[in-house]
Amino acid sequence: MKKSLWFAVLLIVSIVLSACSGESSSATDGKSSKADQSLTYASTTDAVGLSPIMTNDSASSSVIEQVYETLFNRNPETGEIEPNLAESYETPDANTWVFKLKEGVVFHDGTPFNAEAVKYTFDKLRDPATAAPRASLLEPVDAITVVDENTVEIKTKYPYGSFLAALSHSNTSIVSPTADQKQDLMNQPVGTGPFKFVSWTPGDKIELESNEDYRDGAPSLKKVTYKVVPEVNTAISMLQTGEVQFIDALPTEQIKRLESMKDVDIAKKDGTPVYYLTVNHEKEISKDAKFREAIASAIDRDAFVSKLNGLGVRSDSVVGPKVFGHDDSADTAGTPYDMEAAKKLVKENGFDDQPIKLLAANRGNYTLMAEIVQAQLTEAGFKVEIESMEWAAFLDAARAGQYDLTFMSWSNVTGDGSELLYPNFHSDNIGNSNFGRYNNAEFDELVTASRTTVDQNERKELLNQANQLMVEQNAVVVMYHGVVTAATNKSVKGLQLDPNGQWSLYNVSRE
Amino acid sequence: MTRAMLEATDVVPVQKKKEKVYLVTLKRLLKNKLAVAGLVIICLQIAMAVFAPLIVTHEPAKQVLSASELPMFSEGHWLGTDNYGRDVWSRIVYGARISLIVGITAVSLGLVGGITLGLLGGYYKKMDGIIMRVVDLLFSFPGILLAMLIIAILGTSLVNVAIAISIWSIPSCARIVRGSVLSIKQKEYIMAMKSLGASDIRIMLRHILPNATAPIIVFATMRMGTAILSTASLSYLGLGAQPPTPEWGAMISQGQSFMWTSPHLTIVPGIAIMLTVFAFNVLGDGLRDALDPNMDIQ
Repeated sequence: MKKSLWFAVLLIVSIVLSACSGESSSATDGKSSKADQSLTYASTTDAVGLSPIMTNDSASSSVIEQVYETLFNRNPETGEIEPNLAESYETPDANTWVFKLKEGVVFHDGTPFNAEAVKYTFDKLRDPATAAPRASLLEPVDAITVVDENTVEIKTKYPYGSFLAALSHSNTSIVSPTADQKQDLMNQPVGTGPFKFVSWTPGDKIELESNEDYRDGAPSLKKVTYKVVPEVNTAISMLQTGEVQFIDALPTEQIKRLESMKDVDIAKKDGTPVYYLTVNHEKEISKDAKFREAIASAIDRDAFVSKLNGLGVRSDSVVGPKVFGHDDSADTAGTPYDMEAAKKLVKENGFDDQPIKLLAANRGNYTLMAEIVQAQLTEAGFKVEIESMEWAAFLDAARAGQYDLTFMSWSNVTGDGSELLYPNFHSDNIGNSNFGRYNNAEFDELVTASRTTVDQNERKELLNQANQLMVEQNAVVVMYHGVVTAATNKSVKGLQLDPNGQWSLYNVSRE
Repeated sequence: MTRAMLEATDVVPVQKKKEKVYLVTLKRLLKNKLAVAGLVIICLQIAMAVFAPLIVTHEPAKQVLSASELPMFSEGHWLGTDNYGRDVWSRIVYGARISLIVGITAVSLGLVGGITLGLLGGYYKKMDGIIMRVVDLLFSFPGILLAMLIIAILGTSLVNVAIAISIWSIPSCARIVRGSVLSIKQKEYIMAMKSLGASDIRIMLRHILPNATAPIIVFATMRMGTAILSTASLSYLGLGAQPPTPEWGAMISQGQSFMWTSPHLTIVPGIAIMLTVFAFNVLGDGLRDALDPNMDIQ
């Protein structure tokens, strides 16, 4: 009896004590987090590596963007390409580019940034022995010469129209040559960017700290942590509790939930990704223009975009409003939605007795598109069966052309129309990135010309013509253009999203 | 002893006795309130599946994008609508059809395989070793993993789900049947049949199998619940029903993205699955008790 009484007293005392200690510690936490300039970002996937030369995925580039810098940058607001590590450039002839570099820039390891570093980086990136995933960015480059400490001359094999766009791609960031020879940049990156690498625990987190010697002044944030949270619902809950302060690429179906959270700001910006329905252009039925017209007129794209909770922009144009080469006239140039016309076309041409396989990846908005389009095509009289697959299997099946209809998307990092039309629709890339197997000589010619012309106005016109040609032929049905998104804790200020979904933390601070 | 003699000599009284056995079983079953509840739920579900086109208010695949994610008890949609504006009630009703068809197909196929293997294994001592080792091998896989493996080989579709679940049912059915066969085989009336020169097949099918029906009925009923749950699980994982098929598991998987804004999209199909599995389980339990010859008839 006595014993149990003692036990009860002990229990109560310990509960009270633990409650007190809990309170006091959380109070100090709250204060310190307000004072210190640190930021935790939750990513659903871990980075593959931290070298711009050897990677090509968004999780890696979100870190690379902070640690390294490129010669040029596309202004997130105006879409214009501006010098970054470069000071200026000249093109004495169509195949020669002379870049003047900024002076006095130093890598995090003390190595000076100069023409030698640029030559080293680009030569390594384009060297076949490196097998860099984005070596294609510098494929037209013929020779790189160091003119003096801060001048580099690049000769191309043929006029390279989207060269500056390529030089603003995060995979052409300049690396420290001394560091690259000494260590593996994949694990220990060294660049010139506003943040320095601290540590990486694979599968858990990557830590960065501010570069106090950054040429335009040190960033406000002193410490940045990239935390791996594989499940997006968990990441959102962590944002709600304040455990992380920043997430991006928000799923459309979670927008309402995020909007209802008190301490969360949502940033949206019209972006460069495009999502489209493509026919398999090698199938007999797809060669019939009436078939493609019937499909296009059966799909109510306005109703679909309304389902995206504001995360999609409606346009018929393949080259999106935020991509170089876009012209407003293409936005409404496609076959309009008209269910009656579609039904008539289907009946008259006997499309109703041929089974159609709609291949769809079972992730993100692909399922949403597949179900809505299947229902609408069925209403028009088509016989459509959905086959949904996990992402990797889907890519294999789509690349092999095992479908009649499928959905594809392209996030255009450089924001240049040539970088969309060439890989996705040029006949050079059939069996590779041209999943729809679109093959049109006139179109090929226009796209090739857009790649080998240096005059930007001329390029824009060529891209517009190529784009209009595709839209007119219903080569694909554009479902929507992506909106890039991020959600942050209200204490985070100054975050700016690029239309390609990337972001810089340089101007970010906490209040 | 007396029963065995009756079987071997006179047919008419056996028939009468059988009728009596059924009546007794039914009486016992009806005394078990939970089992009756299960039976009622199953009957309702069968009615729902059979008369689906008469019950539903909308086409199950008909989308109305402007009326999506309506809450429960909305006008014209008493269970609300999903993300595509499809009527949840209509999808649940058609979903019952899919669950029952896949469940019955899978269990029947599993019974055919399991009974065959069990009879052969139990009756012929020489085959027993091989058959039971194969069964042990099948047992060593966790059930859902085995089903996923089979679907990975055959491809994703509801038919393949039924096949996968039936294969998964074979080992437990084979073991149960073999156990009964082993004990029945020792009975005097089987010995008598043998000495009278009856063929093995005749003995197995006409005399052993009918006497082993009780555990098989119980197994099949319980297995229906498992089969329906597995179908839902596999569809939830994206390995079963392909969209827009209104399968319950697939409905949950689709609805889970909307847990925070429209919880009914996961809760309603979840309750449907739960009720069905519960009904089959309690009915199976009740049947086991009712068919147990050792229970007192009161």
